[in-house]
Amino acid sequence: MADDALFEFLHMEIVSHIYKEQQSGKGEMDNKDRAVCVSVLEGMGFRVGQGLIERLTRDSPSFKDELDIMKFICKDFWTKVFRRQVDNLRTNHQGTYVLQDNKFSMLTQLSSGKQYLDQAPKYLAFSCGVVRGALSNLGMESVVTAEVSVMPSCKFQVVIQKL
Amino acid sequence: MTVHNLYIFDRNGNCLYYNEWNRKKQAGISKDEEYKLMYGMLFSIRSFVSKMSPLDMKEGFLSFQTSRYRLHYYETPSGLKFVMNTDLSVSNARETLQHIYSNLYVELIVKNPVCSSTPSLDSELFSSRLDAFIRALPYYSPRAA
Repeated sequence: MADDALFEFLHMEIVSHIYKEQQSGKGEMDNKDRAVCVSVLEGMGFRVGQGLIERLTRDSPSFKDELDIMKFICKDFWTKVFRRQVDNLRTNHQGTYVLQDNKFSMLTQLSSGKQYLDQAPKYLAFSCGVVRGALSNLGMESVVTAEVSVMPSCKFQVVIQKL
Repeated sequence: MTVHNLYIFDRNGNCLYYNEWNRKKQAGISKDEEYKLMYGMLFSIRSFVSKMSPLDMKEGFLSFQTSRYRLHYYETPSGLKFVMNTDLSVSNARETLQHIYSNLYVELIVKNPVCSSTPSLDSELFSSRLDAFIRALPYYSPRAA
């Protein structure tokens, strides 16, 4: 695999580019603009996740059930994409899963604590999209959100949409 | 055996970071003036050294010493200048400064999306890691010799 720094810098630039584009018209960014930026980033991540999961599950056997898929995401997928495994997976067995990563790779350089907490969501949007895309191509439509209270630990909440 | 203080300047002469661990005597001028004085001195000494060198210069200015302290200097190819004052027992801090640059500065500042766009080193993570690193150096001790 290529040097990790390549993607890190590219990701930083993508985020700042999208925010600058939104802001170019007006002076201040309101909440609607921020939501647009987040959804653009999430959409990018969605396509990336879809492609990635095809590649990563080439050789694996098919999954038994939802929980098996989530475990795959937490272990193999997270290792390939974010270079570590998810530390904690919780579920209510009714379609909601919470994945906790205590040293999320996009946040380790930002801070270790509370500094820059308001900037963190920008850098998590893409990763939420990646997870959502991966699940979508495995047959599970979902909504993925992320929250951070103390960096670099963060929680991803996955809610499976039952059709 | 101790480290007294550390300055980091960018290529335009702005002081990005300053911290001190063991400084008994202040310069007597404001911090801004002190940074300008330090940068101006370094600039002059580097050009002096290269002009007066009797042989082809490799690294250029590395350090100077007085009877009480030694100043170590490291410049990166990108123009960043690291200056560290230690006591006389430390003969070569070049590797330390290089480590500070590659493992702390590049990892935590250059790769920090928030810090990269503005020329400021507000990151608390950087400060705390740098502080821990300096305190862990073999030649650092809380009391000056």
